[in-house]
Amino acid sequence: MKLEDIKKLADLARIDMSDEEMEGMAKDFDPILAYVGQVQELSKLGIEDTIHSPENYKLQNIMREDIATNTRGEYTDDIMKNAPDTENGFIKVKQIL
Amino acid sequence: MIDLRNLTIEKAHEHFKSGDFTVTDLVNEYLKVIKEKNGDINAYLEVYNDVLDQARVAEGMFKNGTATLMTGIPLALKDNMLYKGHIASASSKILENYVATYDSFIVKQLKTQGVVFLGRTNMDEFAMGSSTETSAYGNTKNPIDTSRVPGGSSGGSVAALAMDGALVSLGSDTGGSIRQPAAFCGLVGLKPTYGAVSRFGIISMGSSLDQVGTFGKTVEDAETLFNAINGYDEKDSTSVKKEERIQPLPLKKKIGVPRSFLSGDGIESDILKNFEENCKRLEKAGYEIVDISLPLIKYSLAVYYIISPAEVSSNLARYDGIRYGLHEGADKLYEVYTKSRGKGFGKEVRRRILLGTYILSHGYYDAYYNTAIKVRHAIKEELKNAFKEVDAIITPTSPFMPFKFGEKLSDPVGMYLSDLFSVPANIADIPAISIPSGKNSEGLPFGLHIMAPLFREDILFTIGKDFEKLV
Repeated sequence: MKLEDIKKLADLARIDMSDEEMEGMAKDFDPILAYVGQVQELSKLGIEDTIHSPENYKLQNIMREDIATNTRGEYTDDIMKNAPDTENGFIKVKQIL
Repeated sequence: MIDLRNLTIEKAHEHFKSGDFTVTDLVNEYLKVIKEKNGDINAYLEVYNDVLDQARVAEGMFKNGTATLMTGIPLALKDNMLYKGHIASASSKILENYVATYDSFIVKQLKTQGVVFLGRTNMDEFAMGSSTETSAYGNTKNPIDTSRVPGGSSGGSVAALAMDGALVSLGSDTGGSIRQPAAFCGLVGLKPTYGAVSRFGIISMGSSLDQVGTFGKTVEDAETLFNAINGYDEKDSTSVKKEERIQPLPLKKKIGVPRSFLSGDGIESDILKNFEENCKRLEKAGYEIVDISLPLIKYSLAVYYIISPAEVSSNLARYDGIRYGLHEGADKLYEVYTKSRGKGFGKEVRRRILLGTYILSHGYYDAYYNTAIKVRHAIKEELKNAFKEVDAIITPTSPFMPFKFGEKLSDPVGMYLSDLFSVPANIADIPAISIPSGKNSEGLPFGLHIMAPLFREDILFTIGKDFEKLV
Protein backbone atom coordinates (compact mmCIF):
# COMPACT_ATOMS: atom_id res chain seq x y z
CA MET A 1 0.00 0.00 0.00
CA LYS A 2 1.28 3.47 -0.90
CA LEU A 3 1.45 6.50 1.39
CA GLU A 4 -0.99 8.28 -0.93
CA ASP A 5 -3.59 5.53 -0.38
CA ILE A 6 -3.27 5.81 3.40
CA LYS A 7 -3.63 9.60 3.15
CA LYS A 8 -6.84 9.15 1.18
CA LEU A 9 -8.20 6.71 3.80
CA ALA A 10 -7.25 9.02 6.69
CA ASP A 11 -9.11 11.83 4.92
CA LEU A 12 -12.20 9.65 4.37
CA ALA A 13 -12.12 8.53 8.02
CA ARG A 14 -11.51 12.12 9.24
CA ILE A 15 -8.40 11.29 11.25
CA ASP A 16 -5.46 13.68 11.45
CA MET A 17 -2.22 11.66 11.31
CA SER A 18 1.45 12.47 10.89
CA ASP A 19 3.24 11.43 7.68
CA GLU A 20 5.52 9.26 9.78
CA GLU A 21 2.62 7.29 11.25
CA MET A 22 0.98 6.93 7.85
CA GLU A 23 4.20 5.54 6.38
CA GLY A 24 4.32 2.95 9.18
CA MET A 25 0.70 2.09 8.58
CA ALA A 26 1.26 1.66 4.85
CA LYS A 27 3.84 -1.00 5.74
CA ASP A 28 1.54 -2.69 8.32
CA PHE A 29 -1.30 -2.95 5.81
CA ASP A 30 0.41 -5.31 3.37
CA PRO A 31 0.76 -8.35 5.68
CA ILE A 32 -2.74 -7.72 7.09
CA LEU A 33 -4.31 -7.58 3.62
CA ALA A 34 -2.33 -10.65 2.55
CA TYR A 35 -3.70 -12.50 5.58
CA VAL A 36 -7.34 -11.51 5.14
CA GLY A 37 -7.05 -12.03 1.38
CA GLN A 38 -7.22 -15.78 2.13
CA VAL A 39 -11.01 -15.54 1.96
CA GLN A 40 -10.77 -15.02 -1.78
CA GLU A 41 -9.46 -18.60 -2.18
CA LEU A 42 -12.86 -19.78 -1.07
CA SER A 43 -14.71 -18.55 -4.10
CA LYS A 44 -12.93 -21.45 -5.81
CA LEU A 45 -14.28 -23.98 -3.31
CA GLY A 46 -17.86 -23.79 -4.57
CA ILE A 47 -19.48 -22.70 -1.33
CA GLU A 48 -21.80 -20.27 -3.11
CA ASP A 49 -24.73 -22.69 -3.25
CA THR A 50 -24.84 -23.36 0.48
CA ILE A 51 -24.84 -19.64 1.15
CA HIS A 52 -27.91 -18.76 -0.82
CA SER A 53 -30.31 -21.16 0.86
CA PRO A 54 -33.12 -19.00 2.31
CA GLU A 55 -32.62 -20.58 5.74
CA ASN A 56 -29.42 -18.61 6.05
CA TYR A 57 -31.13 -15.29 5.58
CA LYS A 58 -33.43 -15.01 8.54
CA LEU A 59 -32.49 -11.41 9.29
CA GLN A 60 -35.48 -9.14 9.55
CA ASN A 61 -36.28 -5.63 10.66
CA ILE A 62 -37.38 -5.22 14.26
CA MET A 63 -40.01 -2.52 14.54
CA ARG A 64 -41.74 -0.86 17.46
CA GLU A 65 -44.67 1.51 17.81
CA ASP A 66 -43.69 5.12 17.16
CA ILE A 67 -44.48 6.37 20.65
CA ALA A 68 -42.34 8.22 23.18
CA THR A 69 -40.82 5.91 25.78
CA ASN A 70 -39.57 8.65 28.09
CA THR A 71 -40.88 11.96 29.34
CA ARG A 72 -39.90 15.14 27.53
CA GLY A 73 -36.55 16.47 28.73
CA GLU A 74 -35.86 13.44 30.93
CA TYR A 75 -32.31 13.02 29.64
CA THR A 76 -31.66 16.50 28.22
CA ASP A 77 -29.52 17.92 31.03
CA ASP A 78 -27.35 14.79 31.34
CA ILE A 79 -26.79 14.61 27.60
CA MET A 80 -26.01 18.33 27.30
CA LYS A 81 -23.49 18.07 30.14
CA ASN A 82 -21.44 15.71 27.96
CA ALA A 83 -21.32 18.15 25.02
CA PRO A 84 -18.01 20.02 24.85
CA ASP A 85 -19.34 23.30 23.46
CA THR A 86 -22.88 24.55 24.16
CA GLU A 87 -24.81 27.81 24.24
CA ASN A 88 -28.38 28.40 25.53
CA GLY A 89 -29.28 24.72 25.36
CA PHE A 90 -27.82 24.21 21.89
CA ILE A 91 -24.70 22.30 20.88
CA LYS A 92 -22.35 24.59 18.98
CA VAL A 93 -20.78 23.60 15.66
CA LYS A 94 -18.49 25.50 13.33
CA GLN A 95 -19.98 27.04 10.22
CA ILE A 96 -20.62 24.31 7.65
CA LEU A 97 -21.03 26.28 4.42
CA MET B 1 -10.10 -11.95 57.53
CA ILE B 2 -12.25 -13.44 54.78
CA ASP B 3 -10.69 -16.14 52.58
CA LEU B 4 -11.17 -14.29 49.29
CA ARG B 5 -9.14 -16.79 47.25
CA ASN B 6 -11.64 -19.60 47.84
CA LEU B 7 -14.78 -17.51 48.03
CA THR B 8 -17.58 -18.27 45.53
CA ILE B 9 -20.97 -16.64 44.96
CA GLU B 10 -22.77 -19.43 46.77
CA LYS B 11 -20.39 -19.36 49.77
CA ALA B 12 -20.66 -15.56 50.05
CA HIS B 13 -24.43 -15.85 49.90
CA GLU B 14 -24.43 -18.40 52.75
CA HIS B 15 -22.20 -16.13 54.84
CA PHE B 16 -24.48 -13.13 54.21
CA LYS B 17 -27.49 -15.20 55.28
CA SER B 18 -25.88 -16.63 58.40
CA GLY B 19 -24.45 -13.23 59.30
CA ASP B 20 -20.78 -14.39 59.60
CA PHE B 21 -19.97 -11.27 57.69
CA THR B 22 -22.05 -8.55 56.05
CA VAL B 23 -21.98 -7.23 52.50
CA THR B 24 -20.15 -4.15 53.80
CA ASP B 25 -17.51 -6.35 55.49
CA LEU B 26 -16.87 -8.19 52.23
CA VAL B 27 -16.83 -5.02 50.15
CA ASN B 28 -14.33 -3.48 52.58
CA GLU B 29 -12.06 -6.54 52.21
CA TYR B 30 -12.05 -6.10 48.44
CA LEU B 31 -11.44 -2.34 48.74
CA LYS B 32 -8.45 -3.12 50.95
CA VAL B 33 -6.97 -5.51 48.36
CA ILE B 34 -7.59 -3.00 45.57
CA LYS B 35 -5.85 -0.27 47.57
CA GLU B 36 -2.90 -2.58 48.19
CA LYS B 37 -2.47 -4.08 44.72
CA ASN B 38 -4.08 -1.87 42.09
CA GLY B 39 -1.22 0.64 41.97
CA ASP B 40 0.98 -2.13 40.58
CA ILE B 41 -1.53 -4.26 38.63
CA ASN B 42 -3.73 -1.42 37.22
CA ALA B 43 -6.80 -3.65 36.88
CA TYR B 44 -9.21 -0.87 37.87
CA LEU B 45 -9.27 2.55 36.23
CA GLU B 46 -11.73 3.77 38.83
CA VAL B 47 -13.29 2.50 42.03
CA TYR B 48 -16.81 3.93 42.18
CA ASN B 49 -17.49 6.43 44.95
CA ASP B 50 -20.86 4.90 45.82
CA VAL B 51 -19.66 1.37 46.62
CA LEU B 52 -20.57 1.50 50.31
CA ASP B 53 -24.02 2.95 49.52
CA GLN B 54 -24.60 0.03 47.15
CA ALA B 55 -23.53 -2.38 49.92
CA ARG B 56 -26.11 -0.87 52.28
CA VAL B 57 -28.86 -1.30 49.67
CA ALA B 58 -27.90 -4.98 49.38
CA GLU B 59 -27.96 -5.41 53.15
CA GLY B 60 -31.45 -3.94 53.18
CA MET B 61 -32.53 -6.62 50.71
CA PHE B 62 -31.29 -9.33 53.06
CA LYS B 63 -33.23 -7.70 55.90
CA ASN B 64 -36.51 -7.41 53.99
CA GLY B 65 -36.29 -10.85 52.41
CA THR B 66 -35.88 -9.79 48.75
CA ALA B 67 -32.25 -10.95 48.42
CA THR B 68 -31.29 -13.28 45.57
CA LEU B 69 -28.12 -15.31 45.03
CA MET B 70 -26.49 -12.26 43.40
CA THR B 71 -27.41 -9.75 46.13
CA GLY B 72 -24.35 -8.12 47.65
CA ILE B 73 -21.90 -9.86 45.29
CA PRO B 74 -18.99 -7.46 44.56
CA LEU B 75 -18.43 -7.26 40.82
CA ALA B 76 -16.14 -5.41 38.39
CA LEU B 77 -17.48 -3.82 35.19
CA LYS B 78 -15.45 -3.49 32.01
CA ASP B 79 -14.88 0.14 31.02
CA ASN B 80 -17.20 -0.19 27.99
CA MET B 81 -20.37 -0.81 30.07
CA LEU B 82 -22.64 2.11 30.88
CA TYR B 83 -23.51 2.71 34.53
CA LYS B 84 -25.59 5.87 34.85
CA GLY B 85 -23.78 8.84 36.37
CA HIS B 86 -20.35 7.18 36.09
CA ILE B 87 -17.60 7.47 33.52
CA ALA B 88 -17.38 4.82 30.79
CA SER B 89 -14.38 5.51 28.55
CA ALA B 90 -13.68 2.25 26.63
CA SER B 91 -10.12 3.02 27.80
CA SER B 92 -9.89 5.70 25.10
CA LYS B 93 -8.83 9.35 25.34
CA ILE B 94 -11.79 10.25 23.15
CA LEU B 95 -14.21 9.24 25.95
CA GLU B 96 -12.02 10.23 28.91
CA ASN B 97 -14.73 12.36 30.54
CA TYR B 98 -17.83 10.71 29.12
CA VAL B 99 -20.47 10.23 31.85
CA ALA B 100 -23.10 7.56 31.11
CA THR B 101 -26.57 9.07 30.79
CA TYR B 102 -28.38 5.74 31.27
CA ASP B 103 -27.79 2.21 32.58
CA SER B 104 -26.87 -0.61 30.22
CA PHE B 105 -29.29 -3.57 30.27
CA ILE B 106 -26.84 -5.70 32.25
CA VAL B 107 -26.29 -3.01 34.89
CA LYS B 108 -30.04 -2.50 35.22
CA GLN B 109 -30.62 -6.24 35.65
CA LEU B 110 -27.87 -6.58 38.24
CA LYS B 111 -28.89 -3.40 40.09
CA THR B 112 -32.36 -4.80 40.78
CA GLN B 113 -30.66 -7.87 42.25
CA GLY B 114 -28.52 -5.73 44.56
CA VAL B 115 -25.13 -6.50 43.02
CA VAL B 116 -22.32 -4.19 44.20
CA PHE B 117 -20.42 -2.58 41.31
CA LEU B 118 -16.90 -2.00 42.62
CA GLY B 119 -15.50 -0.09 39.67
CA ARG B 120 -14.56 -0.10 35.99
CA THR B 121 -11.62 -2.05 34.65
CA ASN B 122 -8.92 -1.37 32.10
CA MET B 123 -9.20 -2.80 28.58
CA ASP B 124 -7.68 -2.51 25.14
CA GLU B 125 -8.94 0.74 23.63
CA PHE B 126 -12.49 0.10 22.30
CA ALA B 127 -11.74 -3.61 22.90
CA MET B 128 -9.22 -3.73 20.06
CA GLY B 129 -6.33 -5.86 21.21
CA SER B 130 -5.33 -9.09 22.92
CA SER B 131 -3.06 -7.79 25.68
CA THR B 132 -4.69 -4.64 27.17
CA GLU B 133 -1.58 -2.78 25.91
CA THR B 134 -3.62 -0.55 23.57
CA SER B 135 -5.41 1.12 26.53
CA ALA B 136 -4.87 4.87 26.75
CA TYR B 137 -4.47 4.44 30.51
CA GLY B 138 -1.43 2.21 30.84
CA ASN B 139 -0.78 -1.52 30.89
CA THR B 140 -2.52 -3.97 33.19
CA LYS B 141 -0.17 -6.58 34.62
CA ASN B 142 -0.94 -10.28 34.84
CA PRO B 143 -1.19 -10.96 38.61
CA ILE B 144 0.28 -14.46 38.08
CA ASP B 145 3.48 -13.03 36.55
CA THR B 146 3.68 -9.25 36.49
CA SER B 147 6.21 -9.22 33.63
CA ARG B 148 3.48 -10.59 31.38
CA VAL B 149 0.23 -9.32 29.85
CA PRO B 150 -3.14 -10.41 31.28
CA GLY B 151 -4.51 -10.94 27.78
CA GLY B 152 -7.23 -8.79 26.33
CA SER B 153 -9.24 -6.99 25.57
CA SER B 154 -10.94 -7.64 28.96
CA GLY B 155 -7.54 -7.67 30.72
CA GLY B 156 -8.58 -5.47 33.64
CA SER B 157 -11.66 -7.57 34.42
CA VAL B 158 -9.59 -10.78 34.68
CA ALA B 159 -6.74 -9.12 36.57
CA ALA B 160 -9.25 -7.73 39.10
CA LEU B 161 -10.38 -11.30 39.79
CA ALA B 162 -6.94 -12.88 39.69
CA MET B 163 -5.62 -10.38 42.28
CA ASP B 164 -8.70 -11.07 44.49
CA GLY B 165 -9.99 -7.56 43.87
CA ALA B 166 -13.54 -8.74 42.97
CA LEU B 167 -15.60 -11.91 43.36
CA VAL B 168 -16.77 -12.01 39.73
CA SER B 169 -16.53 -9.66 36.76
CA LEU B 170 -18.02 -8.87 33.37
CA GLY B 171 -16.30 -8.64 30.02
CA SER B 172 -17.18 -8.34 26.37
CA ASP B 173 -16.00 -10.65 23.62
CA THR B 174 -15.82 -9.76 19.93
CA GLY B 175 -13.16 -12.27 18.85
CA GLY B 176 -11.88 -13.81 22.08
CA SER B 177 -11.71 -10.86 24.48
CA ILE B 178 -13.19 -12.85 27.37
CA ARG B 179 -11.80 -16.32 26.77
CA GLN B 180 -8.15 -15.51 25.95
CA PRO B 181 -7.60 -13.31 29.05
CA ALA B 182 -9.41 -15.93 31.19
CA ALA B 183 -6.88 -18.49 29.94
CA PHE B 184 -3.95 -16.10 30.54
CA CYS B 185 -4.99 -15.49 34.17
CA GLY B 186 -6.18 -19.00 35.09
CA LEU B 187 -9.90 -18.18 35.29
CA VAL B 188 -13.18 -19.28 33.74
CA GLY B 189 -14.48 -17.00 30.96
CA LEU B 190 -17.80 -17.41 29.15
CA LYS B 191 -18.88 -15.89 25.84
CA PRO B 192 -22.61 -16.59 25.53
CA THR B 193 -24.57 -17.08 22.30
CA TYR B 194 -24.93 -13.91 20.22
CA GLY B 195 -28.34 -12.52 21.21
CA ALA B 196 -28.45 -14.16 24.67
CA VAL B 197 -27.32 -11.08 26.61
CA SER B 198 -28.43 -7.60 25.53
CA ARG B 199 -25.79 -5.27 24.08
CA PHE B 200 -27.88 -2.21 25.03
CA GLY B 201 -25.55 0.26 26.76
CA ILE B 202 -22.32 -1.49 25.77
CA ILE B 203 -19.94 0.71 23.77
CA SER B 204 -19.98 -0.93 20.34
CA MET B 205 -16.98 -2.38 18.55
CA GLY B 206 -18.24 -4.92 15.97
CA SER B 207 -22.01 -5.06 16.36
CA SER B 208 -22.54 -8.42 14.65
CA LEU B 209 -19.85 -10.04 16.83
CA ASP B 210 -19.89 -8.29 20.25
CA GLN B 211 -21.33 -10.23 23.17
CA VAL B 212 -21.24 -9.59 26.93
CA GLY B 213 -20.03 -12.45 29.08
CA THR B 214 -18.84 -13.47 32.51
CA PHE B 215 -15.69 -14.29 34.48
CA GLY B 216 -15.45 -16.42 37.61
CA LYS B 217 -12.98 -18.54 39.50
CA THR B 218 -15.29 -21.50 38.96
CA VAL B 219 -17.63 -22.63 36.20
CA GLU B 220 -20.52 -22.30 38.63
CA ASP B 221 -19.77 -18.62 39.35
CA ALA B 222 -19.55 -17.81 35.63
CA GLU B 223 -22.86 -19.67 35.17
CA THR B 224 -24.64 -17.93 38.07
CA LEU B 225 -23.64 -14.49 36.81
CA PHE B 226 -24.67 -15.45 33.27
CA ASN B 227 -28.11 -16.53 34.54
CA ALA B 228 -28.48 -13.12 36.17
CA ILE B 229 -27.96 -11.20 32.89
CA ASN B 230 -29.30 -13.69 30.33
CA GLY B 231 -32.60 -12.61 28.81
CA TYR B 232 -34.52 -10.83 26.10
CA ASP B 233 -34.31 -7.05 25.83
CA GLU B 234 -36.55 -5.09 23.47
CA LYS B 235 -33.93 -2.31 23.32
CA ASP B 236 -31.47 -4.60 21.49
CA SER B 237 -32.94 -5.61 18.14
CA THR B 238 -30.57 -8.60 17.93
CA SER B 239 -31.67 -9.91 21.34
CA VAL B 240 -33.47 -13.25 20.97
CA LYS B 241 -36.79 -13.95 22.71
CA LYS B 242 -36.81 -16.85 25.17
CA GLU B 243 -39.38 -18.81 23.17
CA GLU B 244 -37.26 -18.53 20.02
CA ARG B 245 -34.22 -20.05 21.70
CA ILE B 246 -33.23 -23.68 21.27
CA GLN B 247 -34.27 -25.82 24.21
CA PRO B 248 -31.83 -28.17 25.98
CA LEU B 249 -31.71 -31.83 24.90
CA PRO B 250 -29.91 -34.72 26.63
CA LEU B 251 -26.18 -34.97 25.92
CA LYS B 252 -24.67 -37.54 23.56
CA LYS B 253 -21.49 -37.37 25.67
CA LYS B 254 -19.50 -37.02 22.47
CA ILE B 255 -16.92 -34.26 21.93
CA GLY B 256 -15.31 -33.36 18.60
CA VAL B 257 -11.69 -32.37 17.99
CA PRO B 258 -10.94 -30.60 14.70
CA ARG B 259 -7.50 -32.19 14.23
CA SER B 260 -6.38 -30.38 11.09
CA PHE B 261 -7.16 -26.99 12.73
CA LEU B 262 -4.64 -27.86 15.47
CA SER B 263 -1.79 -28.55 13.08
CA GLY B 264 -1.40 -24.99 11.81
CA ASP B 265 1.70 -22.83 12.24
CA GLY B 266 2.43 -20.81 15.35
CA ILE B 267 0.81 -23.08 17.95
CA GLU B 268 3.18 -23.70 20.89
CA SER B 269 4.04 -27.35 21.52
CA ASP B 270 3.36 -27.09 25.29
CA ILE B 271 -0.16 -25.96 24.48
CA LEU B 272 -0.75 -28.99 22.24
CA LYS B 273 0.67 -31.32 24.88
CA ASN B 274 -1.68 -29.88 27.50
CA PHE B 275 -4.55 -30.23 25.04
CA GLU B 276 -3.89 -33.96 24.61
CA GLU B 277 -3.93 -34.34 28.40
CA ASN B 278 -7.26 -32.51 28.47
CA CYS B 279 -8.73 -34.97 25.94
CA LYS B 280 -7.68 -37.82 28.25
CA ARG B 281 -9.23 -36.08 31.25
CA LEU B 282 -12.54 -35.78 29.40
CA GLU B 283 -12.38 -39.44 28.41
CA LYS B 284 -11.90 -40.25 32.07
CA ALA B 285 -15.04 -38.22 32.81
CA GLY B 286 -16.97 -40.48 30.43
CA TYR B 287 -16.91 -38.48 27.20
CA GLU B 288 -16.10 -40.00 23.84
CA ILE B 289 -13.54 -37.90 21.96
CA VAL B 290 -13.87 -38.09 18.17
CA ASP B 291 -11.98 -36.46 15.31
CA ILE B 292 -14.08 -34.16 13.18
CA SER B 293 -13.31 -32.41 9.93
CA LEU B 294 -13.94 -28.67 9.74
CA PRO B 295 -12.14 -27.53 6.59
CA LEU B 296 -13.48 -23.96 6.64
CA ILE B 297 -12.95 -23.08 10.31
CA LYS B 298 -9.34 -21.96 9.72
CA TYR B 299 -10.66 -19.08 7.61
CA SER B 300 -12.54 -17.62 10.61
CA LEU B 301 -9.72 -15.27 11.61
CA ALA B 302 -9.40 -13.83 8.09
CA VAL B 303 -13.18 -13.36 7.97
CA TYR B 304 -13.01 -11.68 11.37
CA TYR B 305 -10.33 -9.20 10.32
CA ILE B 306 -12.55 -8.10 7.45
CA ILE B 307 -15.95 -7.94 9.16
CA SER B 308 -14.75 -6.47 12.44
CA PRO B 309 -12.73 -3.51 11.05
CA ALA B 310 -15.59 -2.80 8.64
CA GLU B 311 -18.02 -2.59 11.56
CA VAL B 312 -15.47 -0.65 13.63
CA SER B 313 -15.06 2.02 10.96
CA SER B 314 -18.84 2.49 10.87
CA ASN B 315 -19.43 2.32 14.64
CA LEU B 316 -16.63 4.71 15.53
CA ALA B 317 -17.80 7.34 13.05
CA ARG B 318 -20.00 8.65 15.89
CA TYR B 319 -16.99 10.11 17.72
CA ASP B 320 -16.92 13.52 16.11
CA GLY B 321 -15.88 15.84 18.96
CA ILE B 322 -19.27 17.58 18.82
CA ARG B 323 -21.88 15.84 20.97
CA TYR B 324 -19.63 14.22 23.57
CA GLY B 325 -16.06 13.17 24.11
CA LEU B 326 -12.80 14.87 23.32
CA HIS B 327 -13.11 18.12 21.40
CA GLU B 328 -10.27 19.91 19.64
CA GLY B 329 -11.06 23.46 18.61
CA ALA B 330 -10.32 24.53 15.01
CA ASP B 331 -11.47 27.12 12.48
CA LYS B 332 -13.31 24.71 10.22
CA LEU B 333 -15.71 21.88 11.04
CA TYR B 334 -13.64 19.41 8.99
CA GLU B 335 -10.65 20.17 11.19
CA VAL B 336 -12.66 19.80 14.39
CA TYR B 337 -13.40 16.25 13.22
CA THR B 338 -9.90 15.33 12.05
CA LYS B 339 -8.13 16.89 15.05
CA SER B 340 -10.53 15.49 17.68
CA ARG B 341 -10.35 12.01 16.16
CA GLY B 342 -6.60 12.25 15.52
CA LYS B 343 -5.94 13.13 19.13
CA GLY B 344 -8.63 10.96 20.70
CA PHE B 345 -7.98 7.59 19.02
CA GLY B 346 -4.88 5.50 19.71
CA LYS B 347 -2.75 3.78 17.10
CA GLU B 348 -4.50 0.39 16.93
CA VAL B 349 -7.93 2.02 16.74
CA ARG B 350 -6.74 4.27 13.91
CA ARG B 351 -5.28 1.27 12.10
CA ARG B 352 -8.57 -0.64 12.28
CA ILE B 353 -10.70 2.33 11.25
CA LEU B 354 -8.49 2.83 8.19
CA LEU B 355 -8.51 -0.90 7.43
CA GLY B 356 -12.32 -0.93 7.63
CA THR B 357 -12.54 2.19 5.49
CA TYR B 358 -10.38 0.48 2.86
CA ILE B 359 -12.36 -2.78 2.98
CA LEU B 360 -15.66 -0.95 2.52
CA SER B 361 -14.43 1.37 -0.19
CA HIS B 362 -15.59 1.26 -3.78
CA GLY B 363 -13.74 -1.38 -5.76
CA TYR B 364 -12.75 -3.51 -2.75
CA TYR B 365 -16.12 -4.08 -1.09
CA ASP B 366 -16.94 -7.22 -3.09
CA ALA B 367 -13.49 -8.73 -2.86
CA TYR B 368 -13.31 -8.38 0.91
CA TYR B 369 -16.54 -7.61 2.74
CA ASN B 370 -19.04 -9.47 0.57
CA THR B 371 -16.76 -12.49 0.27
CA ALA B 372 -16.22 -12.53 4.04
CA ILE B 373 -19.97 -12.47 4.68
CA LYS B 374 -20.41 -15.49 2.39
CA VAL B 375 -17.60 -17.39 4.09
CA ARG B 376 -19.09 -16.50 7.47
CA HIS B 377 -22.36 -18.19 6.47
CA ALA B 378 -20.47 -21.23 5.20
CA ILE B 379 -18.57 -21.52 8.52
CA LYS B 380 -21.87 -21.29 10.42
CA GLU B 381 -23.27 -24.13 8.30
CA GLU B 382 -20.14 -26.21 8.78
CA LEU B 383 -20.36 -25.91 12.59
CA LYS B 384 -24.12 -26.50 12.61
CA ASN B 385 -23.60 -29.76 10.74
CA ALA B 386 -20.77 -30.81 13.05
CA PHE B 387 -23.05 -30.37 16.06
CA LYS B 388 -25.39 -33.03 14.64
CA GLU B 389 -22.74 -35.58 15.63
CA VAL B 390 -21.16 -34.08 18.76
CA ASP B 391 -22.30 -32.09 21.82
CA ALA B 392 -19.30 -29.80 21.81
CA ILE B 393 -16.05 -29.00 20.01
CA ILE B 394 -12.80 -28.47 21.89
CA THR B 395 -9.49 -26.73 21.11
CA PRO B 396 -6.91 -24.91 23.22
CA THR B 397 -8.07 -21.35 24.09
CA SER B 398 -4.93 -19.55 22.90
CA PRO B 399 -2.20 -20.75 20.51
CA PHE B 400 0.44 -19.31 22.86
CA MET B 401 1.15 -18.73 26.55
CA PRO B 402 0.86 -15.29 28.25
CA PHE B 403 3.54 -13.17 26.58
CA LYS B 404 5.71 -10.32 27.83
CA PHE B 405 4.93 -6.63 27.43
CA GLY B 406 5.88 -5.28 24.02
CA GLU B 407 6.52 -8.73 22.57
CA LYS B 408 3.75 -8.60 19.96
CA LEU B 409 2.83 -4.91 19.87
CA SER B 410 4.81 -4.10 16.73
CA ASP B 411 3.55 -7.15 14.82
CA PRO B 412 -0.19 -6.70 14.19
CA VAL B 413 -0.74 -10.03 12.43
CA GLY B 414 1.15 -11.86 15.22
CA MET B 415 -1.09 -10.20 17.80
CA TYR B 416 -4.21 -10.96 15.74
CA LEU B 417 -3.30 -14.69 15.82
CA SER B 418 -4.15 -14.64 19.57
CA ASP B 419 -7.77 -15.13 18.50
CA LEU B 420 -7.14 -18.13 16.22
CA PHE B 421 -9.16 -20.62 18.29
CA SER B 422 -11.61 -18.25 19.95
CA VAL B 423 -12.84 -16.33 16.90
CA PRO B 424 -14.87 -19.11 15.18
CA ALA B 425 -17.46 -18.90 18.00
CA ASN B 426 -18.01 -15.18 17.26
CA ILE B 427 -18.19 -15.83 13.52
CA ALA B 428 -20.81 -18.56 14.08
CA ASP B 429 -22.66 -16.74 16.96
CA ILE B 430 -22.27 -19.83 19.20
CA PRO B 431 -21.42 -19.95 22.93
CA ALA B 432 -17.94 -20.89 24.13
CA ILE B 433 -16.05 -21.07 27.41
CA SER B 434 -12.43 -21.17 28.54
CA ILE B 435 -11.60 -23.28 31.58
CA PRO B 436 -8.24 -23.48 33.39
CA SER B 437 -6.47 -26.73 32.45
CA GLY B 438 -3.27 -26.77 34.50
CA LYS B 439 0.00 -24.85 34.50
CA ASN B 440 3.35 -25.09 32.71
CA SER B 441 6.75 -25.41 34.45
CA GLU B 442 6.84 -21.62 34.94
CA GLY B 443 3.47 -21.64 36.66
CA LEU B 444 1.66 -20.02 33.74
CA PRO B 445 -1.90 -21.27 33.14
CA PHE B 446 -3.28 -23.26 30.20
CA GLY B 447 -6.90 -23.04 29.03
CA LEU B 448 -9.32 -25.50 27.48
CA HIS B 449 -11.76 -23.98 24.98
CA ILE B 450 -15.20 -25.55 24.53
CA MET B 451 -17.78 -24.53 21.91
CA ALA B 452 -21.45 -25.62 21.88
CA PRO B 453 -24.46 -25.13 19.58
CA LEU B 454 -26.56 -21.94 19.69
CA PHE B 455 -28.11 -21.28 23.12
CA ARG B 456 -26.62 -24.46 24.59
CA GLU B 457 -24.58 -22.79 27.32
CA ASP B 458 -25.86 -25.65 29.51
CA ILE B 459 -23.53 -28.03 27.64
CA LEU B 460 -20.54 -25.80 28.39
CA PHE B 461 -21.43 -25.75 32.10
CA THR B 462 -21.99 -29.52 32.30
CA ILE B 463 -18.74 -30.44 30.55
CA GLY B 464 -16.92 -27.60 32.31
CA LYS B 465 -17.91 -28.81 35.77
CA ASP B 466 -16.95 -32.40 34.95
CA PHE B 467 -13.60 -31.21 33.61
CA GLU B 468 -12.90 -28.80 36.47
CA LYS B 469 -12.91 -31.67 38.99
CA LEU B 470 -10.13 -33.46 37.10
CA VAL B 471 -7.62 -30.59 36.87
